[in-house]
Amino acid sequence: MTRLSNDTIVAVVLLLACGVFFWASFDIRQPDYGVLLPSTWPRVIIAVLTLLSLIYLVQSLRAGPRNEEARAVPPGLKGFLTYWRNPIVCFAMFFAFLITLPVLGMLIGGVSFVFVLMTLLGGWERRQLATHAIIAVATVGSMWSLFTFGLGVMLPVGMIFNPFAL
Amino acid sequence: MIIENVIAAFGAIFAAKTLLLMAVGVAGGLIAGAIPGFTIAMAVVLTLPFTFSMPPEQGLATMVSVLVGGLSGGLMAGILTGIPGTPSSVATTFDGFPMARKGEPGLALGIGVWSSFFGGIFSAICLMTLAPQLARVGLEFQPWDYFMLVMFALTITASLAGKHLVKGLIAGALGLFVRTVGEDEAAGMARFDFGSEILLSGFDFIAVLIGLFAFSQLLSDVRDPETARKSLSERGTVKAKIEHARALKEIAKHWTVVVRSATIGVFTGILPGAGGSVANILAYDQAKKASKTPENFGTGTSEGIIAPESSNNAVEGGALITLMALGIPGDVTAAVMLGALLIHDVIPSPNFISDNPVLAYSIFTAFFIATFMMIAMQSLMLRVFVLVTRIRMYMLAAVILGFCGIGVFALNNVTFDLWTLVWFGIVGFIMRQLGFPLAPMILGVVLGNIAELNLARALAINSDLTPFFTRPWSLFFMIVAFFSAAFPLFQAHRGKRKWTLFYLPFACFGACVPLYMMGGVPRPVIATIVLTLGVYTLVKRARSGWKLDTPADHDLLEEEQETG
Repeated sequence: MTRLSNDTIVAVVLLLACGVFFWASFDIRQPDYGVLLPSTWPRVIIAVLTLLSLIYLVQSLRAGPRNEEARAVPPGLKGFLTYWRNPIVCFAMFFAFLITLPVLGMLIGGVSFVFVLMTLLGGWERRQLATHAIIAVATVGSMWSLFTFGLGVMLPVGMIFNPFAL
Repeated sequence: MIIENVIAAFGAIFAAKTLLLMAVGVAGGLIAGAIPGFTIAMAVVLTLPFTFSMPPEQGLATMVSVLVGGLSGGLMAGILTGIPGTPSSVATTFDGFPMARKGEPGLALGIGVWSSFFGGIFSAICLMTLAPQLARVGLEFQPWDYFMLVMFALTITASLAGKHLVKGLIAGALGLFVRTVGEDEAAGMARFDFGSEILLSGFDFIAVLIGLFAFSQLLSDVRDPETARKSLSERGTVKAKIEHARALKEIAKHWTVVVRSATIGVFTGILPGAGGSVANILAYDQAKKASKTPENFGTGTSEGIIAPESSNNAVEGGALITLMALGIPGDVTAAVMLGALLIHDVIPSPNFISDNPVLAYSIFTAFFIATFMMIAMQSLMLRVFVLVTRIRMYMLAAVILGFCGIGVFALNNVTFDLWTLVWFGIVGFIMRQLGFPLAPMILGVVLGNIAELNLARALAINSDLTPFFTRPWSLFFMIVAFFSAAFPLFQAHRGKRKWTLFYLPFACFGACVPLYMMGGVPRPVIATIVLTLGVYTLVKRARSGWKLDTPADHDLLEEEQETG
């Protein structure tokens, strides 16, 4: 089987997305007033996007898979995970930060996020751990203080400081 | 009237707190611009949440200061380490780094700093004088013209993607589409909310911008584990002392390069989509062509530093001209500035300068003062830069991601904005990896509402579509949008296909038609000049026997999805 290029896969995903959103545009309620209906503009954009995605698909099929794509990322799931390790760690940590935000709050959650992320990206030798902890507390702490006390923004407190927060 | 406004603006800016915030902004911008991978737009976008609680004049002055600082900061890393701090200072490294390696880092820095200063001042003067004039032209615009102006801005931004034009156009269309999610502004009907109440209010566009731009950029910076653990000081020498007097003498010798490059910068800035990343290479190229000693370029010549640095600092003045006069951001950084204005309930339009003269002139004044602050703070910030270069990239990325979280939550005090940030961060990261330019998408997100509202207004006035073709300004933008979209094709086939011989003459003929339709005296005169240029080019090519040109040396591709 011939290997598909990344561009071909993206073009197909875009076309599928266009189909889904075009279908979803029929759920938009149409008022009795106005010349430009609420669904018209999104449909125009989707139509243009579909046309461009088709051109992109044809271009990618003509070009075939690029050699550098194969060279850059090592083969297999393990190779993929190794190559993209850092971005995946960043996303995973940010998701964890968001999920725990109602419990930990912005201060503890933010400090933990920065500390854990730095440790996962940079290493966990004893000296590094101390440096990461100091940086996390100092930077997030100062930013939290600036927003809370300086700008008067109510950042999430979390259940640890306020058990009735949820 | 203008003097009264300038005095009132000075009164607003010359408050101790505002000046202090501006100084902090310039310092932050200088450092942000100096760190490779940390772009100016990212610095400006991250400053935005801090300005919510400030009065508009103060908040915008702070953001302008970050912008001015960032424009000048890129040269520090470029000259001392050979790695440009921002795409706007790519050309600075061509001669700045060789000069530093020849043992003259202080002179190279001095030339860079003072060229930035003069470029910035030139641009500030243009901003103050041209923006009100352009706003008067903008008053002629009707909804049809505005809609076409947005389409032009999107196509020209997409065309900067060069051979990836289709990807650029897809990015622009995606940006427009993202803005349709939620209630539509004209009729108030829910769109693509999939029954979710949270989606009904749509995506906060600042959260989208930070996600698409800052979040995805940081992830790209730490992708390679080895690079992420390295500090900048491991990549080159970073110690130097700026030599101001010698630098000024060098600049005085080459003042024509300063004026030419700053002019290129301002006009590149005025053009929607083209930013500092294009201007610095264009100015370098022109300086080399005009130089008596072009063979010295690339070996550490002062002209090679003066040209890119004067032009990249002049770009933002140009971009602000379009933003403040027409409400159309010239580049990504200006798009963020548009966001800042909207947050402060100010909607930029041709009436903006006449309706909010103090605020408008405060922005002009802040640009001016920030340029002076930049020169005063460069020496000090060079020492801070030496310290910053010891920090490892992964530490910076982790801390800034944390700041992104706090800043984005502060936008509306809604956790959904944080989810918007992370999802658009993923989208931006994937798009970067697949070679999609982000600038058209960002402009699409920012301009989506403007386009739809103006289309609705145009159709409400007249349901017939012919005014799009019969109104001079609409026709003008349509023609230039068509030729700008075709430009990458022209570049790719130039010298190989016969039709490329007719591209420039036909672009001139096309542009002069609506200019003649506008009437009056100056515009038909301009149209005649444009027509003459078209005829001249055609005759020249006929005389040379329709011979195909050789392609240009420099391919002005978008280096990064950043401007400034």
